[in-house]
Amino acid sequence: MTRVLRTELRRSSAGALFLVLLVAGVGLLYSAPDVWAYGWMPVAMAERQYLILLWPLALAAGAWQSRREQRSNVAELFASTSRPLPQRVAPTLAVMAVAAASGYLVVAATTVPWIAHSARYLPTAVFAVVAVGALSLVAAAWLGMAIGRLVPSPATAPVVAVAGIAVLLILTPPVLGGRTWLAAMLSPTRGIGLFSDFRTVSGRVSAAQALWLAGVAVTGTVLLAAGKRLTRVAALIPLLLGAGAALAVIPQGSAYVDSPIDRVAQQLVCAEGSPRVCVSRAHAGLLDVVTPRAREALRLLARLPDPPTSAVEDVNTFLDEHVQPYRADTVMFRIEIGGDGRLLNPDSFAMRMLYAGGMSEAPCPDGLDPAVSIAVAHWLMGEEPPAAAAEPDADIHSVWAGLHALPEQAAIDRVAAVRKAALACGDLAEALAGGTA
Amino acid sequence: MRSVSAAETAPTISPWAVQAEGLRVRVGRHLAVDGLDLSLGTGVHGLLGPNGAGKTTLMRALATVVKPADGRLQLLGQPVDGRGNLRLVRRGLGYLPQQFGFYPRFTVREFVEYLAWLKEMPGPAIPDAVQRAIDRVGLTEKADARMKTLSGGMLRRAGIAQAIVNSPEVVLLDEPTVGLDPEQRLDFRTLLRELGVDSCVLVSTHLVEDVVAACTDVILINRGKLVYQGTPDGLVAEGGPDDAGDSPAERGYSALLRRHRAEEVR
Amino acid sequence: MRWLTLYLRSRQAPLALILAAGCVALLWALWSAFSDDRDVDVPMVILTVLLTVATLTATLGGPDDALERTGSLPWLPRRAAHVLVAFAVVVLLVLVTQATGARFGPAWLVVRDAAGLSGLTALGAATVGVARSWFPPIAWTLASITVALPDKTWADVATWQVQPPGNRPAAITAGVLAAGGLLVYAVLGPTRRAPAEAAQ
Repeated sequence: MTRVLRTELRRSSAGALFLVLLVAGVGLLYSAPDVWAYGWMPVAMAERQYLILLWPLALAAGAWQSRREQRSNVAELFASTSRPLPQRVAPTLAVMAVAAASGYLVVAATTVPWIAHSARYLPTAVFAVVAVGALSLVAAAWLGMAIGRLVPSPATAPVVAVAGIAVLLILTPPVLGGRTWLAAMLSPTRGIGLFSDFRTVSGRVSAAQALWLAGVAVTGTVLLAAGKRLTRVAALIPLLLGAGAALAVIPQGSAYVDSPIDRVAQQLVCAEGSPRVCVSRAHAGLLDVVTPRAREALRLLARLPDPPTSAVEDVNTFLDEHVQPYRADTVMFRIEIGGDGRLLNPDSFAMRMLYAGGMSEAPCPDGLDPAVSIAVAHWLMGEEPPAAAAEPDADIHSVWAGLHALPEQAAIDRVAAVRKAALACGDLAEALAGGTA
Repeated sequence: MRSVSAAETAPTISPWAVQAEGLRVRVGRHLAVDGLDLSLGTGVHGLLGPNGAGKTTLMRALATVVKPADGRLQLLGQPVDGRGNLRLVRRGLGYLPQQFGFYPRFTVREFVEYLAWLKEMPGPAIPDAVQRAIDRVGLTEKADARMKTLSGGMLRRAGIAQAIVNSPEVVLLDEPTVGLDPEQRLDFRTLLRELGVDSCVLVSTHLVEDVVAACTDVILINRGKLVYQGTPDGLVAEGGPDDAGDSPAERGYSALLRRHRAEEVR
Repeated sequence: MRWLTLYLRSRQAPLALILAAGCVALLWALWSAFSDDRDVDVPMVILTVLLTVATLTATLGGPDDALERTGSLPWLPRRAAHVLVAFAVVVLLVLVTQATGARFGPAWLVVRDAAGLSGLTALGAATVGVARSWFPPIAWTLASITVALPDKTWADVATWQVQPPGNRPAAITAGVLAAGGLLVYAVLGPTRRAPAEAAQ
């Protein structure tokens, strides 16, 4: 059997498919590494989004493979052999599937050396998201082969490529009557969101996608192996079965949550020793980098009355109910990761923790006065902000200069007042001025 | 389209229609023709050689489809390396590839007409020349049949018709007898002899008897090198009673090859 | 005329033309049916141009390019004319919609993309063969539609198909591809492999 497959690998366009997927996938991923470099789930999701290109290419490669078979006139020779048609196409189907799936997996694997140093959290959902992506490419290659056989023309491959991307672009919730869940089920590029580090895809959604894609894939094989017209009609059966099973599994209507939050990823992991410094499980790999900087910030804040005693990553997400309260005794910080998988701007990390005297502006609908907030941080840090004529740097510098000119204790009192105002989302400038009265 | 001047159509005065010296032709990285010296004049030349000897590659080089890698090649007195007048050469060329692409929507007549046009025959002369070529290969009744309805032998004959439509001075036929039945092969031999009266015809084949029956000259190549060039009688004379083969000519063929291989080993 | 007819039929040009016109008509009908906007979305316009170019690709080679090459006919001007006519057909088919209720435009973008993609296809036909020449324009254009690159000159060049009509680097890239493809194809012609090899 391996011998047959090896021959098939050389005979078919499977090698070309693998290479095309590899080049296109790697090219897209690394054109914007900051989209995915912060974790394994973002990697899996980003590659799924790039199926918008990979999927049509696999479809075209399948159609091209069938076209080649016809042009090379081997069809007649093969038709004369005793082996039945389904058995004859099986090896080709197998190598095309291996090429499609392995191309997808290898693209994902290239990110391992890139982010393994910081990415620790690897939930099982990642494997499901990747597997659905690989399966979608297998389905595309097989469907393409079937179309190529049914419509033998030199234009088939390019037309299905364009049609493939058009279908993916069109399968959007508005076109499907606002049914976000249906778009997620039908299109492998949907049902994923990259706007937070804590997103995931529910097991039921992945299962539904897999069932639907398996239906598409089986339909492709039946169409390809079908010698008679009746069997071709019967190829619709697996498609309908797949759709039916997927519909039964996927949560519909309001029960469907588009890219839900992974609560496990949000759980805090704390550094040994004190004061307490914690980051989310998703960012556990950065704990060693964050801890000394966070403790430095806490030490600088210890001069204030009633200082915060711990520093914790802010895992609350946009449009999410706040799972973490904002309190005076805890400094909340955000972790941002660059395209290299490392902490973004590590040198100013402590400084940013000191904004508004260590108070987050996240719970404040109108934010906090940025000039006062940043000037206070500079004073705590003991660093003069850049003196620039333009806003807002000029403001920051003048506020800082005001603080700097005061005696130590008076300045501490004002910063404490700013902290108090920030906790209540009040006016920082007023608090800063009020401290003099 | 510009008209063809009389000077360009005038016959070229050259003792040899085809002249090659140290010809080398590459197929990928492999040297399929490796230092061949060959001079062909008017007459029918039979090109023999085992599988992979370089027959088809030599034919393709002579047909100006592939460029020689090295050596000198002159067709109808013109060098074929970009300096000579390739257009003039091609006007006097007839070529039947070993396999040719289907023109599925064409009838036999359209196919031959189309190639006559590619060979820049004067327009008014084309319909008669096409009819004559089709008649000569015995496809008169199938002239208006679609190419895809033809049998293998008929397709081969349509290919020969396009090769001779322009009354070429150099005719290159790669395996023309494949697919022909015995009766057609006899007709074909007659056609070859007629063509050989005033053209240089090179026919590659596996069938030694075809060569003996229809050719004035035999060329045997092996591994891209010339092994033998001489008359069919000369070929017969090379064979001994112990050599393999069903006929004296085949025994001569085996003997020459056996000796050439032995020399190569040394 | 007879020769032109035979030439076009040998390249299956009538079929390709019907297919190209059919693709444009289909997309035009889809847009007319599903959108109230008179101006078609730019990505759809780009895909339409791409599809039209791809369907005309097959006409760049005949069933046996090696045999045809042995003809003495001067091919260079004819090949150049073929590419130019194919380009004109694409532009014409797409821009005819300007007179209807679903306009595929802007016109300059259609011209630029049709020129660049035709050139790229011709370049492919002369290098990797007619049978594969559809791939570079398809893959490049689909990638350009998909990828998000920073606002730099090299990015404008890399994704020239999707740049707004006024973009200079994109126009220059399309021009270079168009001229290069035209020149290389006119001089070299389609790759001359025997039909059995060409199928590989």
